[in-house]
Amino acid sequence: MTDRINRLRKYFITDKAHREFRFLPRNEFELAQEFSRLGLSDVRRAAERLKAMLAAEEPLILPLERIVFTRRNPTVFSIFTKQELAHLQKTCRIHEHGEVCNINVDYTRLLSCGLLAKKNELLARRAAFIKGGEAEKAEYLTLETEILDSVQALSDRYRNKAAAEGRTDIAATLARVPKYAPRTFPEALQMFRILHFTMWLGGNYHNTVGRLDQYLYPYYQRDIAAGRLTKETTLEWLEEFFITFNRDSDLYPGMQQGDNGQSVMLGGLNPDGTSSYNELSELCLNASLELSLIDPKINLRVSKKTPLEVYILGTRLTKQGLGFPQYANDDVVIPALLAYGYDEKDAYQYVVAACWEFIIPGAGMDVPNIDAVSLALAAQRAVTDHLEDAEDFPALMEAVRRNIAEQSLACVEKTKKLYLFPAPFLSLMMEGCMETGRDVSLGCRYNNYGFHGTGIATATDSLAAVRKYVYGDRSVGKRELLSALADNYAGHEDLLAKLRFDAPKMGNNDPEADDIAVALLDAFADSLEGRHNDRGGIFRAGTGTAMYYLWHSAVLPATADGRKSGEVIAANYSPSIFTRTRGPVSILQSFSKPHLQRVCNGGPLTLELHDTLFRSEEAIGKVALLVKSFIDMGGHQLQLNAINRDTLYAAQKRPQEYRNLIVRVWGWSGYFVELDKEYQDHIIKRMELSL
Amino acid sequence: MNGMLFDIKEGAIHDGPGLRQTVFLKGCAMRCAWCHNPEGLSRMPELMVSPNGCAKCGRCRDVCPMGADMIGFGKPPGCVACGKCVSACPQRIRKIAGEEISPEALAARLNENAGYYAGTGGGVTFSGGEPLLQAAFVLETLPLLNPSTHKALETSGYGDEEDFLRLMQAFDLIMFDLKSMDDVTHIRYTGVSNRTILGNARRLCGGDTPFVIRIPVIPGVNDNDGHYRAVAELIKDAPKLLRVEFLPYHQTAGAKYGMLQLPYKPGFDQNRSIYVNQEIFTRMGIRSYVL
Repeated sequence: MTDRINRLRKYFITDKAHREFRFLPRNEFELAQEFSRLGLSDVRRAAERLKAMLAAEEPLILPLERIVFTRRNPTVFSIFTKQELAHLQKTCRIHEHGEVCNINVDYTRLLSCGLLAKKNELLARRAAFIKGGEAEKAEYLTLETEILDSVQALSDRYRNKAAAEGRTDIAATLARVPKYAPRTFPEALQMFRILHFTMWLGGNYHNTVGRLDQYLYPYYQRDIAAGRLTKETTLEWLEEFFITFNRDSDLYPGMQQGDNGQSVMLGGLNPDGTSSYNELSELCLNASLELSLIDPKINLRVSKKTPLEVYILGTRLTKQGLGFPQYANDDVVIPALLAYGYDEKDAYQYVVAACWEFIIPGAGMDVPNIDAVSLALAAQRAVTDHLEDAEDFPALMEAVRRNIAEQSLACVEKTKKLYLFPAPFLSLMMEGCMETGRDVSLGCRYNNYGFHGTGIATATDSLAAVRKYVYGDRSVGKRELLSALADNYAGHEDLLAKLRFDAPKMGNNDPEADDIAVALLDAFADSLEGRHNDRGGIFRAGTGTAMYYLWHSAVLPATADGRKSGEVIAANYSPSIFTRTRGPVSILQSFSKPHLQRVCNGGPLTLELHDTLFRSEEAIGKVALLVKSFIDMGGHQLQLNAINRDTLYAAQKRPQEYRNLIVRVWGWSGYFVELDKEYQDHIIKRMELSL
Repeated sequence: MNGMLFDIKEGAIHDGPGLRQTVFLKGCAMRCAWCHNPEGLSRMPELMVSPNGCAKCGRCRDVCPMGADMIGFGKPPGCVACGKCVSACPQRIRKIAGEEISPEALAARLNENAGYYAGTGGGVTFSGGEPLLQAAFVLETLPLLNPSTHKALETSGYGDEEDFLRLMQAFDLIMFDLKSMDDVTHIRYTGVSNRTILGNARRLCGGDTPFVIRIPVIPGVNDNDGHYRAVAELIKDAPKLLRVEFLPYHQTAGAKYGMLQLPYKPGFDQNRSIYVNQEIFTRMGIRSYVL
């Protein structure tokens, strides 16, 4: 890391000195009152809000920086009043905060031409709409040109300020971008920063970054060929660029601090079977490695063809304790996306949403986290309601399948009448929006919905215990189990111990458990097969949980795996926290058995590895072998944490000394001391393996 | 002949090339002050009790044939490891360390995942305890392993010369400890003389089996240039020497003693920082690593 980057890192990250330039917070509803009074349409409101946000910004050029744009106004204005929001909640399905989020726009739609050319194109299309008598569409494009004017105006203020302060390099860059297409790698980075900055200003969140190493590669190649850049100077530019993702991230909406969804996807197979992993991919990994910052979040596409060296570089990054890279297996994900109906050229472009859901850049308005099915509850209910009548285990499994199908159907029903707030700026970078004068919030080429599936390990372990002890060796009576569950195991300590500790568990490469997991995930996939949402898309089942695992844990009664009511189920696609695992190899083997192509909405197996495992380069090579083995066995997604439980306990006791301790929470990494205690405790309880 | 083991660890990364399954054999004649596997010392099965999680329910006392009062934590004096309290404990904080197993059964267990480990360039490692003390069992097991299995041995070298030679020929890699070259120090901290060990070390140096020398680096005991120089002198001309590995002392070494109701009094200053000198080896053309 160069001295300049070190000093920038200290300025923005350690000292957070730029925050002193922020304005005071304002009333987030001040615009909405006015919009409501004037009776403005939702699209008009979204555009006016973004224009107001852009106008409220004043240029700030900080020492040493070469990539500018820093947020000053901390308030994102709402486009609806509280009353209007309450009404919307009643009449439509509102997803999370209501704004378009969690998609990956195609930045090249603006990077390739610049704002001026885009504006001219919009004006031409607008004229055609007017001619065709399509006033509403024409109006929509007018709003988009106004937004582009506002972005350009703020850029011009930055440029003037830079010139006035003698920062000629910045002024020169801003003379080019965003008005015209960037010619060089640094210009492309500056333009990206302006676009991304604007997306956040517009209230959109989980603004993913996508295949940075692909769409910026031509600029890099040209600059290298022309001798304008070397690998070293590129690394420095990338590092400054990565720091920009952390400047204003405390202002971004999310579920917890750090949940920004600024995911990057590196590498991946091309349709002809070649690899797209390039020098820029490697430089991105190295930049993240040197900076050790929680944003952007690095994802790595791998396959059977990926050489061990790539995993070794990834493992070095894991060693930093940021909880990434997260690996996605092209050998599983691409065929899965094809089976879901994505076009071949799109499937090969896949990236991840904020956490892990597989989405398509520039064409997907998928909502891959719209709801979640509790697999654990499906199993629990089957046991309590049907164990007495179920003559054999297959009969009980049939009841579990019915429960999963019922829950899925209920979730499907709840997705109807989805209303997303308009996102005219994002729409400029999504396929077909400008051409049809239609906002992306109304849909794009892909409009699929994804459901998480929580508690796969709890469901599996519960049913495995029932099969073994109730239907198998008959060491546990039906009545005995049911009354233990009803009593939350009070007075049934022996049975509790047997179920919790002695029964077969998913994660021990034990067929007695694992074949049930296979059946459960098949049932989950079956329950959504052939169903369509009211936007014409399909439903995808997945192995992620997001925060649903906590919500579902809270309402899950005692389960037949010896889990008492209130005890937490595992996050994502992971063994139960009761499992005394034989080791990481067994976990990888167990979790690669299900038909993951059928439940490929996304959701990683999480492995917690003790941080001492990363001490030597040789050990890092071994951990890389472990990761590679999961991919080679057909696992779909993997995320590793280098963790030390003693450190976490110490951080809970003395948070002031551990401000920079970063942990992976679910689909993202955050500062441990900033998490609610509930999440801290769960992270501590997660399994930690030493090899 | 059956063997006695106390653990099979999967995915081990420090016990030879690739990822490995490591078999821990029970029983060792040495008593190294820093031993972190105290359940590997005795040849007999033993009761281990975890210090956390006891609910003081008294089930262990109710089933103990010796009528011992073990509430809270612990095992009775003279415990014969009958195992009755293990399954009685609702918290499952008790276990028996020590499983008697036949060569066929052990090989079957290891062969289950032989393909996986071979795919990583790894295999099986026999460790302990001291595998030399169960040489017959090990020698019967090895031919039953999947032919793709890379076989490594971790040994203190403290055992019969004939056994050592047979094992040396049967393994693909030997990892051999040299704890102290000074016999007085050796006796003081390991309870035995190093004469047998050095004899076997010389056999190793003159043999055809690739080997690694491991030095557990114990603060104030053997972390000095004298020891390192003597080790280097001993092994410098060995054609099959791959490298030297330093294993720095861990403060967590004593973690399992409480579970066996054994005292951990290592007799050296655990908090002292350790001294490693790779230069001595480098100068003699020997590669060395700190693990």
